[in-house]
Amino acid sequence: MASTSQPPLRFTSHKNLVWRLVFSTLTGRTVQISQIRPSSPTNPGLAPHEISFLRLLDSITNGSQMEISYTGTILVYKPGLITGSASGTGANSGGVIRHELPAGCARGVSYFLIPLCLLAPFSKAPLKVLFTGPGVITSATPNGDMSVDSVRTAILPLYNQFGIFNNIELRILKRSNPGPNGRGGGGEVQLVFGHQLRLPKTLHLMNPGRITKVRGVAYAVGVSASNNARMIQTARGVLNPLVPDTYIFSDVSSAPFVPTSEKTNPSGKKKIGLGFGLSLVAESSTGCLFSADVASPPAGGEAPEDIGKRCAYQLLETISKGGCVAPAGVATMLGLMTMGSEDVGRIQVGREVIADESTIQLARDLTKFGAPGWGLRDASGENENGDVIISVVGRGIGNVGRKVA
Amino acid sequence: MVGKRKRDASVVSRATASEDEGIPQQPPVDASYQDVFRKFFEAQFQPLEEGTGGQVAGGDESEEESEDEGPEQSGSEPEWGGVSDEDDEVNEVEVVEHRDAETQALMDKQARKAFMTSKPPSSVEQTTVKRLKKDKDAEGEDNATDADNLKNDLALQRLLKESHLLDSASELAPTGKNRIKALDLRMQELGAKASLYKQNMPSSHRRGIKAKAGMKEDKRRREARENGIILEKPAPKSSSTSTKRRERGVGGPSIGKFAGGALNLSKRDVAAIQGPRRSTGGRGRGGRGRGRGGRGRGSR
Repeated sequence: MASTSQPPLRFTSHKNLVWRLVFSTLTGRTVQISQIRPSSPTNPGLAPHEISFLRLLDSITNGSQMEISYTGTILVYKPGLITGSASGTGANSGGVIRHELPAGCARGVSYFLIPLCLLAPFSKAPLKVLFTGPGVITSATPNGDMSVDSVRTAILPLYNQFGIFNNIELRILKRSNPGPNGRGGGGEVQLVFGHQLRLPKTLHLMNPGRITKVRGVAYAVGVSASNNARMIQTARGVLNPLVPDTYIFSDVSSAPFVPTSEKTNPSGKKKIGLGFGLSLVAESSTGCLFSADVASPPAGGEAPEDIGKRCAYQLLETISKGGCVAPAGVATMLGLMTMGSEDVGRIQVGREVIADESTIQLARDLTKFGAPGWGLRDASGENENGDVIISVVGRGIGNVGRKVA
Repeated sequence: MVGKRKRDASVVSRATASEDEGIPQQPPVDASYQDVFRKFFEAQFQPLEEGTGGQVAGGDESEEESEDEGPEQSGSEPEWGGVSDEDDEVNEVEVVEHRDAETQALMDKQARKAFMTSKPPSSVEQTTVKRLKKDKDAEGEDNATDADNLKNDLALQRLLKESHLLDSASELAPTGKNRIKALDLRMQELGAKASLYKQNMPSSHRRGIKAKAGMKEDKRRREARENGIILEKPAPKSSSTSTKRRERGVGGPSIGKFAGGALNLSKRDVAAIQGPRRSTGGRGRGGRGRGRGGRGRGSR
C-alpha cells in the first residue's frame, strides 16, 4: 500500500486504542502505540480484550501485520485491506468469521461491535462475524460498555443517515451478563453487515428535534422474569409522564452453560453470566437516538427497581446533554463523516458531549491521522443548551477495496 | 432603608401568593388593604376560611416585619397572627416522584416482533404504529397493500419504458395513437412475433396509404400557407431504403448478388465496376468498383 513509505504514527497509552486501530485501518497508516500500561505491576501491556480485538482485525483484513513487544507495552500495527468475510479468508462455509473471546474478557461485546461496525461499510465483501466463546458479555458492563440491544437500537440506525441500511443485522443468539468478578460470559452474537459502499453520504444533522418515543429492552438471564417486570415498572414510572409513547419489551432467557476448565472435572459445565439489565433508547422527531444502559452488577445485591430507575435517569441525563448525537454514538458519527466524501458535513452536538474527554481525544487522533481539523461554532437559532455545530471535512478515502481502478 | 423596603415587597408578594404587578408595594397597614388582598386572593384561588388562612398568611409577614423592622410596622400586628417561625425555617425539600406506570398497555405481538428482531429498528416501527391503529383485518390489509404495491410497481415500470411516448407530463395514461404504440411495446415485450405496425398487406395498399398520408400533409401545408399560418418545418425526408447502402453480412460479395452459387451482376453493378466513361472521368471520381484505384490518379 501507499503507506509503506510513510513513517508510522506514534501514539502512547492504551486509551482510545481501539479507535486508533480502526482509523489506522481505514486510512491505511501504520501506527506504533507505546507505553501501554507500562506502570501496572500486575498486568502490564495489552489486556486480553485488546489482544482479542487485534485478532479480530487480523481476521477481517488481508495483509495486516502487527508486532507486539515482549512485555506487550508496544504495539506496531500495519493495516491491510478490509476484506470482510470473503470466502477463503478464514470464514467458514457460510462466510461467517467465528471470533472467540477468551474467558478473561471483562468488556462487553459492544466494545468489539461498535468499532467493527465502523470498519464494515468499507470492507470489500459483506462482513459476517459470529462472536462466541466464554468471554461474550451481551449485557451492559460495569466498565461502561453498552449492551448489545443498545448497539442494535441506538448505534446501527445511525448508519442509516449515511445511506448505509441494507442487510444489517445483529442477531443475539444467546444472552449473557458478566460472569463472576465481571469476567467472562457465555453469550453468542452474530453481526451481519452487508451494505458496503464507496463513500458514505455527507451528513447535515442540525436539528435535534424533540423526543417522541422511548423504546427499551429489559433482559433477564437465568433469573426470574419478574425482575424484568419490576425494572420496566419503575422505568416507566419515571418516563411515562415525560414521554407517553414508552414501551419496554421484556426478554427472558436461560443462563448460558459453558464448560469449566477444571482439571478435576474436564467435562464439567457451569452456568455463568446470570443477571438482568435494562436498555433504553429514546428517539427524537428528527431521528436522533439517545440510549441508556444499566445492568445488575456482577456481585449482585441491587434491586431491579433501582436498576430501572437508574436507567431511566441515565436516559434523561443523556437527553439533557442535547445535540443530535449521544456520547455513545459520537465516534461512529464523526468517524463516518471523516471518511466521507470531500465535502463539509455538519452535526450539532451538545456542549457536554464535545467537552467529553473521549471526544477530544478522538479529535486529536483524527488530526494525527491527517484529517482536517473540525470547525466549531455555536449553533444558531434558539440554542438554550449552548449546542455546538461541528463541521467535518471528509477525507474522501472511503472504501479502498471498492475503488474503481 | 432601601434594603428593608425591598424585603418588604418580597414578603408581601409571597404572602399573597401571587406574582401580579398590580399589588401595591407598601406593607399593608390597614384592614381595608387586607380585605383587598383577601379578595384578590380569593378571586385567584379559592375562598379562604375565616380566621385561619388569611390570618396565617398575614401573621407570617407581620411577625417578620416586627422582628426586623421595629415599631413602624406594629400597627398591623394584632391582625396578623399565625404561623410560627419554625415552619418558615424548616426549609424542607419535598420530593415528588412521578409514577404513572400502571398503564403499561400491552403492545401487540406485531410491535414486539418488529422491535425484537435482529434488524436495527428504523422505519420498521412506523409501519407497526400504523398497524396498531387499525389492526383488525391485518391479513386482508396486508394483501391489499401488497396488491397496491404491485400495481404501483407495474405503473412505474410502464412509465419508465413508455415515457418517450408521452409528450406532456400532465397525462400519464397515453391515449389515441400513443396508446396503440404503448400497447404495441407491451405486446412486443411479452413476446409478440411482429409489431402491430408491421402489417402484411399488398404493396398497392401500402403505397396507397403512403400516398394518402402525403396528400393529407400536402393539403395541410398548402392550406396553412394560404391562410398565412406558419407550420413546423417538414421533417427531413428519411433517405429511402433504395439510396441507403444495404447492410451486408461479413464475407459476402461486395458487389452483386450471390445466388445459386453464382455471382449475379446487374447492369448497374457492371456500370459501377466500369466506372464513368472517359469523357466524364476527369470530373467525377471513379465508380464504386474501382474506388480509390490508381486509375483515378492517373487520369489527372
